Amino acid sequence: MTQYDGDITALEDQALSAFMERLRGAAPGRAPRMPTADVLILKAQLIRNWEAQRRIRRPIELMEPFEIVATAAAAVLLLSWSVPSAFAWVERLIF
Amino acid sequence: MLTEHAFGELYHRHARAVWAYVYRSTNDAADADDIVQEAFLRLLQTDILPDDEEGLRRYVFRIAGNLMADRWRKRTREKRHEVPSTERADASPRDLDVTRTFAELKPRERALLWLAYVEGGSHADIAESLRVGRASVKVMLSRARVRLRDLLKARGLIKGEPE
Repeated sequence: MTQYDGDITALEDQALSAFMERLRGAAPGRAPRMPTADVLILKAQLIRNWEAQRRIRRPIELMEPFEIVATAAAAVLLLSWSVPSAFAWVERLIF
Repeated sequence: MLTEHAFGELYHRHARAVWAYVYRSTNDAADADDIVQEAFLRLLQTDILPDDEEGLRRYVFRIAGNLMADRWRKRTREKRHEVPSTERADASPRDLDVTRTFAELKPRERALLWLAYVEGGSHADIAESLRVGRASVKVMLSRARVRLRDLLKARGLIKGEPE
């Protein structure tokens, strides 16, 4: 570290550098538990595939609410049109 | 985008250094495992990358720094306390002293000092790594150095009274 500022003297900066050097060499609390490079590459491929699938599915998922509303509207329209004629048919059948 | 071979080499050479940086900054080995894994995964998913190894190394440090910054912000919002670091039973008293002294600093101060002293990062590099302004880095780093100096003075590792 060579960028001194007013608060720290050059001697103190040397002590800080020495401390940081000791810290760098100090053993960590435990060893790193990290996957191998191959595992990470496989994970990245899986994520990429999943993202691609999501991109393909997105327009379909976006249209889903509209499909439901359109189907419900069509059902209501069909019922309102067919119920009176259905009643008339039942009446004719009974009487 | 990196080839599998190039990634393997990069990971082999630099993963431990990134882990040490994240571990010393977060003081949490499990967090360090997660963040380093996530940083290298993001590197694999990036299309446009620096051409040279040093540039790639800096890029991974930057991703790791940004991931740590996100966690600090989240923890500040949730007002969660830091998890104390696990200490090795066979650690030397000197290592323990150094580790405990450093752990007394705030996470961002630890990250700043590590990048400045161990990684030899410039203010610009540190600013990018921790997502802060370049002007702020100078002030923050200065404060962190004063804090560490005072801690070292309080422990008698530097002569003089803490200010």
